[in-house]
Amino acid sequence: MNLVVCIKQILDPEIPARDFRVDAAARVAERGGANLVMNIFCENALESALQCREANEGKITALSVGTDEAEDVLRKALALKVDEAILVSGGESSNPDPAFVAKTLAAAVRKIGEYDVVLVGREAGDWGAGQTGGLLAEELGVPCVSFAESIEPGGSDGTVQVKRQTDNGWELLEVATPLVVTITNHDKNVPRIPKTRDVMQSYRKPLTKWTLDELDVDPSSANDYYEVAELSIPQKETKCEFIEGDTLEDKIGAFAKRLGDVIRSI
Amino acid sequence: MNRSDATRQVLWNIEHVWVMYALLVPTTLIAAYGVYRRVRQWRKGQSENRFDRPVERLRLVVAYALLQLRTWRRAYPGVFHAMLFWGFVILFIATCVVLIDYDFGIPIMRGEFYLIFQSLIVDIFGVLAIVGVLMAAARRFITRPKYLVYTTESAVILLLVFAILVTGFLVEGWRIAATDDPWGAWSPFGNLVANASRPLMTVEAMTSAHWATWWFHLFLVFGFLAWAPYTKMLHVLASTANIYTARLAPIGATLRKVDFDSEEALGIHTLAGFTWKDLLDFDACTECGRCTAVCPANRVDKLLSPRDIILDLQRLARDPVGDFAEPFLGKTDALSAEAFWECTTCAACVEACPVSIEQFPKIVDARRYLVMEEAEFPDTMQQALTSLETRGHPMRGTSFSRVDWMQGLDVPTVADVKDADVLVWVGCGGALVERNQSVVRALVQLLKAAGVKFAVLGREEKCNGDPARRIGNEFLFEQLAQENIATLEKHKVKTIVTSCPHCFNTFANEYPQFGGRFEVFHHSQYLAKLVDEGKLAGKSPLGQRVTFHDPCYLGRHNGEYDAPRQLVQISTKNAPVEMQQTRSNSFCCGGGGGMSFVDEPPDKRVNQERARQVLETVADVVAVGCPFCMTMLEDGINATKGDREVRVMDVAELLWQTVEPAPPDS
Repeated sequence: MNLVVCIKQILDPEIPARDFRVDAAARVAERGGANLVMNIFCENALESALQCREANEGKITALSVGTDEAEDVLRKALALKVDEAILVSGGESSNPDPAFVAKTLAAAVRKIGEYDVVLVGREAGDWGAGQTGGLLAEELGVPCVSFAESIEPGGSDGTVQVKRQTDNGWELLEVATPLVVTITNHDKNVPRIPKTRDVMQSYRKPLTKWTLDELDVDPSSANDYYEVAELSIPQKETKCEFIEGDTLEDKIGAFAKRLGDVIRSI
Repeated sequence: MNRSDATRQVLWNIEHVWVMYALLVPTTLIAAYGVYRRVRQWRKGQSENRFDRPVERLRLVVAYALLQLRTWRRAYPGVFHAMLFWGFVILFIATCVVLIDYDFGIPIMRGEFYLIFQSLIVDIFGVLAIVGVLMAAARRFITRPKYLVYTTESAVILLLVFAILVTGFLVEGWRIAATDDPWGAWSPFGNLVANASRPLMTVEAMTSAHWATWWFHLFLVFGFLAWAPYTKMLHVLASTANIYTARLAPIGATLRKVDFDSEEALGIHTLAGFTWKDLLDFDACTECGRCTAVCPANRVDKLLSPRDIILDLQRLARDPVGDFAEPFLGKTDALSAEAFWECTTCAACVEACPVSIEQFPKIVDARRYLVMEEAEFPDTMQQALTSLETRGHPMRGTSFSRVDWMQGLDVPTVADVKDADVLVWVGCGGALVERNQSVVRALVQLLKAAGVKFAVLGREEKCNGDPARRIGNEFLFEQLAQENIATLEKHKVKTIVTSCPHCFNTFANEYPQFGGRFEVFHHSQYLAKLVDEGKLAGKSPLGQRVTFHDPCYLGRHNGEYDAPRQLVQISTKNAPVEMQQTRSNSFCCGGGGGMSFVDEPPDKRVNQERARQVLETVADVVAVGCPFCMTMLEDGINATKGDREVRVMDVAELLWQTVEPAPPDS
């Protein structure tokens, strides 16, 4: 089975809350001293792909769209022994437009050629739109199964079994390939850590780089459908008021009135 | 009778003495082969230089092999071992005297020397050796402490030594009685045998008994000599060699660099990975069990037993059909990954070992293999290391940044102050764990009060790599070490004061391996220096009784026990109340070696055991000098204290309480 895992590099979501700043004018999060890391759901997707390959024969291609710095997450994927890594550079590090990212990924997947399943994380820890998987399937013209926790080869040739989480439990689907699967976290796909020897060797492995030009993707088409209008960190406020009144009834009456005012003002 | 003529006839009553000389040949050959087998084995190990600085090494031999200073640390076995050792040394010298007098024909066994040394002193030491054997037997067969290894071999050795000594006295006694030796009284214990035998035996009977017992004694001695190198008695040679080749640097400098360019496995999982010194370590073991007796993990009933790690490796290394290339990991309980992941690297084992075996570095070697080649290690340690990789600190989930602790204190950073004399290394524990922030705040306020020109790295600071190295990710450690050395050199740092003994140890003992050489102080040392120089003075003594918990990486790993106690003394005008286990014998808080990132089973927590030891004292405060000890002991005390109130405070906080200027209105 040929698997393509899409991996996004994001700003470390575990930086302390008080260190987190946004640039309101540019409408982006400030990097500060924080590191860039692999998005956690992408780690889950990669783990699912590795398990699928362990159980069956197959090939894994790790694919990322980002800046040159995104090479780091692909090196990590190489350390976990994906067979090939491709970086599409030229885009912004955390382009919030999922339609544009999906278009770019689709172009790259088409260029890769044969594939059975494209795995993407359920959503990214930076913008959290959760749109890329579905839009990518649309671009590729294949089905999409979302919130999957595992994939396995199906009962007949050219199908896969996907177990997906729903609000009420889970569904087991048998789907014809090729398809896109968005992976969510589960006890079964807790990301493994690489062996040091493999980390060392990952730096010697080839890493393919494509540009948007090579993929015929027009960078000016970004943000055609999707734009960040405003970006700010929610401010938490705590206020304490004591309700005055001569009798308990007075106090309750005043309290109810005040509560009504507060609710209306929100 | 003239005392200057005093002597005795050597080999009285013995004919065919050539038999003795003839037997000496096979005895020597068998013993020599036993030693040769071991030496051949040691030579199979990887190379390592342990022969530099011979004078210091000879000093170690005098202190630990000859005077056995570490054996004495446990009184009872210390006493009986010394009795046995010195007993046999004197008896051996006496044998040499006979050799010189009889075989070389140089008449030295005469006169006063014969009476005082060859008769009286030798007799006394012979009896001391017998008492020693009996004391050893009492421990082995009656009190039976848990830390000892109970083997038939050990029992047979004791019996054999006992028989050799007793037959020696019988031979002497019967000779004195049968020859009516006029100097017999100079051998008081031999004379006792003589006097006891006279009414019971005829001269002929005594002569025959003497003859038979003399030959029996000879067979026992020769048999023992031939057999010794095949038993734990090999320690007489192997332990001495091990002490000569012991590490000369502080314990904190024991861990080796890893050659990442080598094709061989990273870390050690087969006997083939060990150096000759490691292989010598295995053979030097006398099975005394002191390492396991002091191991904090073992004390709380975990699987880890440093003694059994060494003995199981010894057994595997000696297995005639064993293969050095076969993995030892998991072969026995002691060699299981579970046991290796219980070590706090506190080095109590290394400190306790009378013969300089290095136990915990072998555990780290095995961890290196598990982490770097197998990526198999406890999840919470993985999270700590992943955080270390991505965020430069192991404190996953902290809500603090590197600079939050300094709010309102006007702390200069290297960016502001270019000519600081001292860099204060805050450490992840100090910056990112709320409780420890007040320690660093106290420290910088003390430095300000003393007029020290200091600066901090601020956001440029990263973990020094201690957890990575001790958990076994040497690759990550090397990366961090190189990055930090580059940062420190960029800012032209010469002197570092750390608020954490782990950072201190890494800078002082480990960064030099990577070319980073700095003058390093633990904050307790630097503050004690400021007090000595008169730059800090305690004004109002605290009315609290304080005990001090020695951090392993300050105490055992680096030999600093006094500076923090001096600070307690300054703060309270009293020396600290000592716990039962203190100074080099201190008991780990449970947080070293990456163990502070691990959730221990609720009934097997090292920190609670140490907390109970704190609560046994009358102290109101337990002073610490390490951010890990701080959190481990606070948790431990909260879980075990009952009605007692004991606070955990860093020595810097204690000192700041007495130095701090009083608020203006009071």
